[in-house]
Order: sequence, then C-alpha cells, then structure tokens
Amino acid sequence: MASTKAARIGEEVWKTRVDKVNAELVTLTYGTIVAQLCKDYDSDYVEVNKQLDKMGYNIGMRLIEDFLAKSNTGRCANFRETAEMISKVGFKIFLNITPTVTNWTSDNKQFSLIFEENPLVDFVELPDDGRAQDELWYSSILCGILRGALEMVQIQIEAHFISDVLRGNDSTEMRVSLIRYIDDEMPADDE
Amino acid sequence: MGPHVIKQWLSGPASSSAATGATKPLRPQSGSSVVSAGELDNGPARTRPSRLSAEDDAKLVFGTVFSLRNMVRKLGGPDDHFISYRTGQYKLHYYETPTNLKFVMLTDIKTNNLRMVLHQIYVSLYVEFGVSSITIYVVKNPLSRRYLEAIALLFIDIVVAVEHPGGEGVANELFEMGLESFIVCPQFYPPSGKG
Repeated sequence: MASTKAARIGEEVWKTRVDKVNAELVTLTYGTIVAQLCKDYDSDYVEVNKQLDKMGYNIGMRLIEDFLAKSNTGRCANFRETAEMISKVGFKIFLNITPTVTNWTSDNKQFSLIFEENPLVDFVELPDDGRAQDELWYSSILCGILRGALEMVQIQIEAHFISDVLRGNDSTEMRVSLIRYIDDEMPADDE
Repeated sequence: MGPHVIKQWLSGPASSSAATGATKPLRPQSGSSVVSAGELDNGPARTRPSRLSAEDDAKLVFGTVFSLRNMVRKLGGPDDHFISYRTGQYKLHYYETPTNLKFVMLTDIKTNNLRMVLHQIYVSLYVEFGVSSITIYVVKNPLSRRYLEAIALLFIDIVVAVEHPGGEGVANELFEMGLESFIVCPQFYPPSGKG
C-alpha cells in the first residue's frame, strides 16, 4: 500500500536526515511576515493572500530539490500517490505533521488536506477588524509551496484553503486540484 | 535565490554586468591559472576551444541527452531512463532528477557506472549548497588531474550559460569548490594503473 510506504519514508527521513529548528521560531517568524504584509498592503487581505501564495511558490520551487534529495523517491505513478507523498513525506519532514488526505472527487483529480495541527497558527489571532475573518487565509503560503514544488516535477495544480480554524471553522482544509501534467519540452530559445 | 559569487577567473569584457548576475558567465580568458592548466598537451581534443564553440558543445550534449532520454522513454516506457552511452573515445554518464535537472559526466571508457556519483553530487553538493539551477558537465581525462579540474570548472559555467541565458544561479562558490574537491578525490577513480 502506497500510503504505509510513504509513512515509513516520512518517519525515517524525519528521524535521521533532517536538521530541526524550534517550532515556535517558525511560528513567530511566519507570524511576523504575515503581520508585515498586512501592514504593507494596508489590510488588503486578498492581496496578502496572493503575496503569501507567491512567496510559497518560490519556496516550493527550491524546496522540492531538498525533498527529493532527502527522501530519495522517484516519480509518483498517479495523483493519489502524489497526495500521499505530500502528506506523509512532504509535510512530515518539513513541518512534522501529516495532514489527512480525503474528499477525493470520483475522477481522482481533486482532494482535500485536513490539517489537525498546523504549526504556523499556534498563538495566532486574526486582526479584529471584521474583515480578516472573512478575507485572510493565514496559511496561504502552504498553497504556494505545493504549487511551486509540484510544478517542478511537472504537475500543475491549483490549491486554496476552504476553511480555517482561525476563522472559527471546525477544521482547516486545503483543496488541491490537478490541472494537468506538464510535458517536458525542449527549451524554447534553443536553436 | 542564492548569492551570486562570481569567481575571479570569470572576469572578461562583460565582468561588471556578470557580477550582477545579469550576463552569462564567460569562460576564463587566457592568462588565468585555470586555462594555463588546460594548455597542457593532453592528446587530440580539448585544445581550448573558443567560447562560442564550447557553448555549442554544451548545447550539443544537452540536445543529445534530451533526445536520447526521450527515445528511451518511447521504447522502454515512461519510467525507463538511460544510464550511460559509450563511444570508442569516451563514456557519457547520465542522471536526471524528477525535477528534470540533468547531470552529465564524460569519462574515459573504462570507468564504471557513475550514476550514483552523479546522484551524490545532486544530493550532497547541489542541494546542500543551495544552487538554484545548474547542469554539470565534467570531463575526465586520466592523464592529467590538473587538466581535469580545469575542464570541470569551465564546463560548469558553460553549460549553465546555455541552460540559463540570464546566468542566474550559477556561480556558487561553495558548490564549485565542493564539486572540485569531490571529483578530484582519489576514491572517485577506480584503480586503473594509470594517472
């Protein structure tokens, strides 16, 4: 079963091959970034979401190399396997969490990640301005990271949060949709 | 984005803009120590080619592995990959990551499979030193280690120049130094009675 194999890889890499930092340091650093963005963009939370996603995208494009080097895994056979790898290896080795993969559509092109825990949101309260609760997706950076990382392995996806405990929802859920597998083409500027 | 440290021997007509990462790195100009090592008489090929032709070399190698890789996949299925090919003169070793980074090394024909070595370069040098995007292209000539070093360093930049016209993410000094010591370390060379 792919999922138990992924879990084993994730455990092993986390235990033996990852330099760890204090989770609170990550939480506080990330919180500072979001707070600063909110200030920079005058509490235009839609724009803040966008910026976080963009930052994540740039992180993801590099993080994937680290992921591949540490996990020493090859290409996934299908999108379901990809989902398992994201949850049980990716999130495991970088954040030490394993969000639940669920709510697949029947065509196997969309799934949800349910975050029972999320180190980014410890101690966090959204601004009490009546809008942040409806507009800010605090952990948007994670969507960008997935998008960037998967794009580098030729999988184009779209990801966004559809609920967040910070907003008072019961759970934190990210929706991930496969758009297409990217064909590997000769660089355009090559003669 | 990693720091862009341009090595001294990259200096040339465009060095000032190269330092900003805006221009592709140039090959060493004559007079630098690296090139003088390359001027040793080591046999037929590799008398310091002009910059243009070296870039063309790199393009050719890229085109070759790209086509070969695609052909292999057509014949052997999407998970198949080619590992090396051999001519009468040299052997080309190949490793490609799932992110389509291509690692290529040319050696003499007696060298055993170096796929693991290329993988090791990816894991412990490329990723470790945070090079953002690079292809490695190294020539091994068993006759002269100095020559090998020179060629190795040259080709790193040449191929990157081809792959990344902006010259971005190339001149990572740590990576280059790491690669240099990695490929010249004795265990890399299987005992062959030569050299």
